[in-house]
Amino acid sequence: MKFLISFVVLFWAALVHAISSSGDRLLVVLEDAAEKETYSKFLGDLEGRGFQVNYETPKSDSLNLFHLGERSYDHVLFFPTKSKGLGPHLTPKILLDFINADGNILLALSASQPAPSHIVSLLLELDIHLPPDRQGLVVDHFNYDVLSAPEKHDVLLVHPQGALRPDVRDFFSPAAPGGEVIAFPSGTGQTLGAGALLTPILRAPATSYSYNPKEQAEAVDDVFASGSQLSLVTTMQARNNARFTVVGSAELLSDKWFDAKVKKVGETKEVGTLNREFAKQLSGWTFKETGVLKVNWIEHHLNEVGQVNATSNPKIYRIKNDVSYYISLSEYSWDKYIPFTVPESDELQLEFSMLSPFHRLKLEPVLTSRDSTTYSVSFKLPDQHGIFNFKVNYKRPFYTSVEEKNTVSVRHFAHDEWPRSFVISGAWPWIAGIGATVTGWLGFCALWLYSKPAKGSESKKTQ
Amino acid sequence: MRFLQSFIAPLMLLSAGATQAASSWGFEDAKLSVSGKKADGAKDKDVRKFDDSTAILPTPVVFDSFDTFKLKLKTKENGKGKRPHQAFLVLRDPTSGLEAPFPLTVKDGGKATLEIKQSELPIQLAITTGPLKASLVIASFGSAEGFQKDVFDVEVVRDPVAAPVAYEKPLRYGKLPEIHHIFRSDPQSPPKVVSLVFALAVVATVPALFISWLVLGGNVSHLPKALGAAPIAHGVFFGSIVAMEGVFFLYYATWNLFQTLPVIGLISTAAFLSGTKALGEVQSRRLAGER
Repeated sequence: MKFLISFVVLFWAALVHAISSSGDRLLVVLEDAAEKETYSKFLGDLEGRGFQVNYETPKSDSLNLFHLGERSYDHVLFFPTKSKGLGPHLTPKILLDFINADGNILLALSASQPAPSHIVSLLLELDIHLPPDRQGLVVDHFNYDVLSAPEKHDVLLVHPQGALRPDVRDFFSPAAPGGEVIAFPSGTGQTLGAGALLTPILRAPATSYSYNPKEQAEAVDDVFASGSQLSLVTTMQARNNARFTVVGSAELLSDKWFDAKVKKVGETKEVGTLNREFAKQLSGWTFKETGVLKVNWIEHHLNEVGQVNATSNPKIYRIKNDVSYYISLSEYSWDKYIPFTVPESDELQLEFSMLSPFHRLKLEPVLTSRDSTTYSVSFKLPDQHGIFNFKVNYKRPFYTSVEEKNTVSVRHFAHDEWPRSFVISGAWPWIAGIGATVTGWLGFCALWLYSKPAKGSESKKTQ
Repeated sequence: MRFLQSFIAPLMLLSAGATQAASSWGFEDAKLSVSGKKADGAKDKDVRKFDDSTAILPTPVVFDSFDTFKLKLKTKENGKGKRPHQAFLVLRDPTSGLEAPFPLTVKDGGKATLEIKQSELPIQLAITTGPLKASLVIASFGSAEGFQKDVFDVEVVRDPVAAPVAYEKPLRYGKLPEIHHIFRSDPQSPPKVVSLVFALAVVATVPALFISWLVLGGNVSHLPKALGAAPIAHGVFFGSIVAMEGVFFLYYATWNLFQTLPVIGLISTAAFLSGTKALGEVQSRRLAGER
């Protein structure tokens, strides 16, 4: 019996093949339980990856993001709600406290329901702007699905956008061998502020725009945003690495669009949607299953020629010493740590700085193991003495930030580490002078002690 | 006649099918004008006319800081004037890819107007150096195909007298420029030849000194007499003077102060103790008149 129980437990444990690196307690906030059915595949995927899912309505009394000062959930998933507010347990301040306590939030909006005021305030705090009156529908008359929205053009078909820049790792492009697209049905677009913490994952195509269906049904003469300024899926990673994702269309995550067939206007054949894979990558990033970096260890030591057994991580160096620095980084990918490779045109940099960097050098990968990569660089310490720091400051979109600082003293030359005077050619006349003086002194002593006066002085004396 | 009749029916069907597929938006009678400040009078600086079938205008439209840019056109669907939902003039910067839409004000019959001043351009487009590409996007709901095409280039000219607009690029995380510390140069000595010449000059003074002593009558004739009178004292005394120089040399070469000082102590004691006797012997020779 015991054997059977342990076997079953182990069997279930083996099935869990992906887990978040920062906890598995997920809270899903929905208006009513019937919505669970429309998102059953998405929620089922989340449970399959090892999350413990709790469902609550916003106004319920048992909903508490904090308990005795600690977070009771690690992640929150919001679906669109009809009510104007979100209740006393989800005020904007509580949600901000949740983000400050390293909690992750995935927020899904919809064009058919105006966003609750709590959500709008929270988004304003993060510099994400929704259309005025919280009513906005994104349409595109050139990239819509003719099968489901031939008249209203509100189902956008967007190709996965690839890397944001050549030096940023791409986490959100599902493979599309047959030209599959991501369907974005009846969603709201957002505009973003200029901060470095906000990154759009999916931008609207150039010909799309957002309008208010109630007031701008006839013609648009004052557009909220259009084209690539309109962000359909936005991410924000705070400085404490808490992640916040806004998905403009909650229907993107619904069962209907996970395996739908769509046909873009102007094309001849139908293709499938990539929504399921896109939702997996999106929720995986937001709930810290991907894009998480870890520093395993840091080591620096003296690297001079002809030294013996340099100590590891000494507290003090001398100016112009040759030093080597090693740092080992791992990346968490779905369920295990893998070696971290820096993206192509990006560099991992070491700064050797006092108040400002004296050196900023590229760290090269030297060793790759099963779960980590070691990066290293060797350089000569500056000829300025003082207190210096080895700083690695690696902050990039979609990766957690790596900030490591090791402080060392750098002393000046000791009195016996300078070059000797006999190797300095300019000193030779002076050394010759000393030698001449010594010889003259000894000669004089011998002369004075043992000489006999010359004849001339004798005669002078007896005068 | 029969032949013509059988010919006409499929032709009618074909044309009907053709009009069905070709339901699309377009525009006609577009007139673009750039007018200067009101004080210049109503004279427009640059007037262009085009419609949806003309190619992109060959010369760019120059748009200065005090100019007002006016565009008038008539949108049509299938040849009939109609009001579309979306009628934008989109200005795009080819180098950065940034776009700014300007919605046209459209009346029911399809007559559309747009007026832009340079101050309405977003700052990133206003300070660009190359020409901007302007395209018209006219589309609406339903099955009619939308219209999107580049229609002309815009060159934005800033008033050189006006204060330059400062645009700070927002911070984006990425790699920073490499820094290598520039070391101070090591101290340098003059060429070795110069040092050798002067060192030889200094060394040459030693034989000069000894020769001049000899010329002046220097000698060590009393050495045997002194050694005969007080051999140990003189030996130790002169030896300690020479040993002191040796200690100085060893201190220069390898010793530290803590090795040197005891030895100096020993040698000075020896010099003191032997010196009284040795110098006493010298005094005796002086008193005897031999010095």
